[in-house]
Amino acid sequence: MNQIPMNQTSTIKRLITATKRVLGHANPGRYFEVFDDDTFIVSFPKSGNTWTRFLIANLLHPEEPANFGNIDRLIPESEGLTRNQLARVPRPRIMKSHEYFDARFRKVVYIVRDPRDVAVSQFHFFRKKRRIGDDHSIEQFVTRFVAGQTCDYGSWGENVASWLVARQNSPGFLLLRYEDMVARTGVELTRVASFLGVQATPDLVAQAVERSSADRMRKLEGAKATASVTQNTRQDIPFVRAAGSGGWKTDLPEKSALELETAWAPLMKWLGYGPSLVRTPAANEARIKVPAPGAPAR
Amino acid sequence: MIRYLTAGVKHAFGLYRPGRTVPVRPDDILLASYPNSGNTWMRFLIANLVHPDREVSYGNLHQLVFDPDVSVKRDFDRAPRPRIVKTHGSFDPRYRRVIYLVRDPRDVALAQYQRLRQLRSIGDEFSLEDLIGRFLAGGHAASLVSTDHFGSWGENAGSWLAASFRHPGLLLLRYEDLLADAARELTRVAEFAGLPETTERISQAVARSAPDKITDSEKEQGRDVPLVPSAKSGGWRSDLPKPLVARIEAAWGDIMACLGYELVTRDSHSALESSLLGLLAVGAAGSTGEQREEALVGDTSERAGLSAERTTAR
Repeated sequence: MNQIPMNQTSTIKRLITATKRVLGHANPGRYFEVFDDDTFIVSFPKSGNTWTRFLIANLLHPEEPANFGNIDRLIPESEGLTRNQLARVPRPRIMKSHEYFDARFRKVVYIVRDPRDVAVSQFHFFRKKRRIGDDHSIEQFVTRFVAGQTCDYGSWGENVASWLVARQNSPGFLLLRYEDMVARTGVELTRVASFLGVQATPDLVAQAVERSSADRMRKLEGAKATASVTQNTRQDIPFVRAAGSGGWKTDLPEKSALELETAWAPLMKWLGYGPSLVRTPAANEARIKVPAPGAPAR
Repeated sequence: MIRYLTAGVKHAFGLYRPGRTVPVRPDDILLASYPNSGNTWMRFLIANLVHPDREVSYGNLHQLVFDPDVSVKRDFDRAPRPRIVKTHGSFDPRYRRVIYLVRDPRDVALAQYQRLRQLRSIGDEFSLEDLIGRFLAGGHAASLVSTDHFGSWGENAGSWLAASFRHPGLLLLRYEDLLADAARELTRVAEFAGLPETTERISQAVARSAPDKITDSEKEQGRDVPLVPSAKSGGWRSDLPKPLVARIEAAWGDIMACLGYELVTRDSHSALESSLLGLLAVGAAGSTGEQREEALVGDTSERAGLSAERTTAR
């Protein structure tokens, strides 16, 4: 009998949750409604998603330069909105996502980045968010990163491989490498524009690139410290940090780099992310063979 | 408003069907497959294995092996652990123990065509060629049989196989192996999932889940259209015109080759040559070249390379 009050509390809690959900005030999370004309900017976290959103937003909305205050409205994040807010986003929608393969997403720009840089970036981001303390070593972090325990989007390898194998040859799929975007931003943004079916003059592209530069984004971050990405975080660690490629070569201990390379050697090789040391890369010697005839299904 | 209130009350008391919102527990076991690939048969096998004292039928199947689209949330929460959950969905990293049941897509396409005609979802004017077009595109073909999106066969199987090369627990089963020796494959499932695996229990479960028994159970439930219409494999060799076979093999030849399905309109080696999946499957099998070679070439007398790899990798 003593348990009744506890049951009542949880019933009230459940009623409140249920009411919120029914009235559309709850965040639908992974289970929001997807439309056929939606476009998704997808990547594993810390792979240049925000930068790509800035680039696209600045290209599509030259009248309203993107900043950390309006980016969630210009290119919203599906997981950050309630069902009611999602319903008000004008269509066709361009939205951000970190999801592993989702068959409902029919049109996808997928950004991939060297996992060694991703791991370093997420390590600093988690320190900024106070999800790990200063005593947490990067070696510890990388081990959890490889196991896919640092976020809810699968491991880096799971996220990337599930999208690539399912969609790499599909016309509704554009693969961008973060490293290419750093090296030739305008060229890559022009590819995105033509994928989105947007007219992009060289002037517009140049303006969007300029308005989304790392320097400018750092300044915007300073001015808009209340934006969702920087809210309630350590201000001594910036959100727009190195904004480059290959930083892992100095920031990542050799042991951790090797751990990442061992976990995902074939996938990294396929993406052009070479091994850090001269040794026999796992994928190089792998001769692909087919099961002998007779193995096929009976 | 009344509709909203009903939904809300159902939500509060766990009487709704959770669908994809079902909370995943670390010891859950997922039984995943594309539709028309033998999922129902496998659920009967597992249910009969776990519950020898109960008569398993369509009426209670969703209480024994859970289906988020049919079972209600409360049953999920009260179920004995580990729970066995069914899905037709694509890759989902939340589940750490997954049984992926795969079937030759050329047979899946034929099975889907027959089923949609039986259900009268498509009329006589809808040709097999039309069906293959939809089948390859995915999404829309799936929405004919369900409200959810499972992707195309290639997306579904590809996403699981691609991601599972780092997945600590994925057991790959082929429908064709199940047909050839159900007891052997059910024993693999039992070992993987920690279910009873005595010879008697296994053979009893296989006998109780025989396709004709399942069909009888369907009739009792008033189903006109059997879910397990034809338990056979290789029907595509006689019933699927070669140009249509060629379209399927052109789209998914590498996945099929990785699974050990013989290609008849193109060369398996060339299908795998530029394939990311082929690279992943080979590269992930072991740390040495020999181990990797073993993965795709070894153990061919029993099963295709990937299944051999998975059983050792878990």
